[in-house]
Amino acid sequence: MSERDGAVRPTAAVLTAERGDGARTEEFLALSELLTGFGRVWLAGTGQTDSYLSVLDAVLPPGVLDELLTAARGLPRGADREAAVGPAILADPKLGPVARNVILLWYRGSWTALPAEWRAAYGTSPLDTDHVVSAPAYQAGLQWIAAGAHPAGALQQGYGAWAAAPEGAGR
Amino acid sequence: MSERANGHSGHDVVVVGAGVNGALLANRLTRSGLRVLLLEAGPATAWTFDGYTRHLEHFYTATSKGAESAWPPAANAPQPDPADVRTGDGYFVQRGPSPFASTYTRLQGGSTLHWLGVSLRMLPEDFQLRSRYGVGRDWPIGYDELEPFYREAEWELGVSADVAEQAHLGIEFPDGYDYPMRRVPPSYSDKVLADAVDGMAVDVGAGSVRLTVRNYPAARNSIPRGDYRPVGAVDGYATDAAVHDLGERCAGNTACTPICPIQARYHAGKTLAQADRRNLEVIAQAVASKVLVDPVSGAVTGIEYQRYADPSSPRHTVHVAKGRSYVLAAHSVENARLLLASGLAGRGGAGDLIGKGLMDHPALYAWGLAPVPVGAFRGPLSTAGIEDLRGGAFRARHAAFRFDIGNDGWRAATGAPDSTVAGAVTGAGLFGTRLRDHLAQTLPRQVRFSIAVEQLPSPDNSVSIDPRHVDPLGNPRPVLSYHLDDYTLAGMAAATEVYRQVFSQAGIQDCTDPERGTWFPSVPYGDQVFHYHGMGHLAGTHVMGGSAESSVVDPDQRSWQHRNLYLVGGGSFPTMGTSNPTLTMAALTLRTAKQMTTELAG
Repeated sequence: MSERDGAVRPTAAVLTAERGDGARTEEFLALSELLTGFGRVWLAGTGQTDSYLSVLDAVLPPGVLDELLTAARGLPRGADREAAVGPAILADPKLGPVARNVILLWYRGSWTALPAEWRAAYGTSPLDTDHVVSAPAYQAGLQWIAAGAHPAGALQQGYGAWAAAPEGAGR
Repeated sequence: MSERANGHSGHDVVVVGAGVNGALLANRLTRSGLRVLLLEAGPATAWTFDGYTRHLEHFYTATSKGAESAWPPAANAPQPDPADVRTGDGYFVQRGPSPFASTYTRLQGGSTLHWLGVSLRMLPEDFQLRSRYGVGRDWPIGYDELEPFYREAEWELGVSADVAEQAHLGIEFPDGYDYPMRRVPPSYSDKVLADAVDGMAVDVGAGSVRLTVRNYPAARNSIPRGDYRPVGAVDGYATDAAVHDLGERCAGNTACTPICPIQARYHAGKTLAQADRRNLEVIAQAVASKVLVDPVSGAVTGIEYQRYADPSSPRHTVHVAKGRSYVLAAHSVENARLLLASGLAGRGGAGDLIGKGLMDHPALYAWGLAPVPVGAFRGPLSTAGIEDLRGGAFRARHAAFRFDIGNDGWRAATGAPDSTVAGAVTGAGLFGTRLRDHLAQTLPRQVRFSIAVEQLPSPDNSVSIDPRHVDPLGNPRPVLSYHLDDYTLAGMAAATEVYRQVFSQAGIQDCTDPERGTWFPSVPYGDQVFHYHGMGHLAGTHVMGGSAESSVVDPDQRSWQHRNLYLVGGGSFPTMGTSNPTLTMAALTLRTAKQMTTELAG
């Protein structure tokens, strides 16, 4: 984003949209790092960042995602940052279930219907059903990387690779 | 139809069903110069490379990744779905007392589109259960008679194994024979388990038996022996034979079921693609609705079928296919259903046996955590089993069983890794680096056994029809009556004891808890409750035997009552033992093909 110094200044509306989207993506990735334990190279490398933001925007009642990102902005910097996620976000009755769904999105590539009590309290959406976001999202699930494996049915490791000892097997 | 002369369309044989049995017959008969019409109830969407790939995409985006998840049915050729077992509201009309838990696929290619590829031969003793152990019934043919056809089937399906490892429990091979491809390499998990378990002794009631973790024969492409040419991906419309070389060797997609993305695992389309196309006509989206019979001679005069253009609309046209001989290769349930819908049952003798004696391998899951990472979620879904309790004198008292050792963690039993992640996040409240570390320490240690238990034929386990229950085209749906008897339940109890001993020996922490796993039907036995799933090994609905009084088909799978009609597939099995039935079906069908060729082309 280099909108600051252009000879022709963008209109206010364009400026807000560009700055808003870019900042929002950054904030989403920063929060996702804390939630998933994967760095942003892994996260961005899935190619799913925009897709997951779109899912959250489509499924959640208006304002909920921004509320989550605002809460994340308020987390302390430094060593206490990860520890603060629990009380500040995961324990929150409104933001906690949403944050857990963000974790599941990254790990599994699928959306999980929010708990019934959450929907009763904060609103429902016809899109709030268990579903796989897309074929690429399924394949990009971080669960396969965490397992030292590959997504079932994709990114196969090659003939006989399964005979090799996995990391941590002590051989 | 009466004005049409016999064979007016120029077909020698009409085959119903383009699964493994129909494809094998079409392949052999057409290559002998016979003209074959093959009718398939479902669409031919898996018949092209692009169509197959669309099924793969369907799997990727399916919320549940069960055996049928890549293969949605056409409304006009409905099929059972695992999810229906719980609701009791699906294609099957379940009469109970226990739900029948297995499924199959009505598409061109049949259930081989999503099978695991396990290609065990039956044991010699499996053919003689009655005379050796006083239970079940004997086959009218023995292992020795089927052995040459087992070899032919192993070459046709492309089975990978080493004879040196497979000659046990009485299974013998002729000198000089070996499987067409070397065994699929055992997984690291298999090796860890073998190190701990091989040689341990168990006793299930007939003396001490030593266990071995053994690689099983699999219809998955491996390294070929000699001049054998593996068949990879096929495209039914390609004219260039080179397309058969696409894909080839198993690459460890860990998705044999529901779909091998590279077609390294056998499916019936490979056999069909190698038929003599000049003599073959395939009509998909053609549901056989009635077998037409001459009331005087009993000979079949035609197959009435319903052809639909749009899989989602019940609009259809009715036709009659005619040939000299007819084959029903539509699957154990569908063969019986079609005969019953044609009014061919209940005429005494063979007719009374149609649909009776339905068998499956009701199976248990056992799952646990290995003491070290074993590399779960890699490789073919499984590569080894424990086969030592498939045979033995204990069979006089309870069922035999085999263990299939999974390479896919707890996927089949609990829905892992998705369920493991959900449990850690939602249940245990983990997130961040602790979550990632927990999963890295847990998922690669997941071990799963699938324990397939023998089931004997019982007249109470049956397929029937009821005019009140029909599908969108008006064909009667299968009505299933099913129960597990004490012979099978006692086998489950013995198998449970053995798996616990194996887990203990290997230091595997037993996490088996059906209440927390995927839902499966349950049945009580003493103070135990067994949660069983179906292996998709359906058999016994048109039993083979030595006389028209005691069986539906003769040893050639030829109907006793309709001599130009053959009923092929698992339905012909008098008993099933513990082997996955596809290889034995293929051997029987190749034997039938030889008989038909001699008679019709000779």
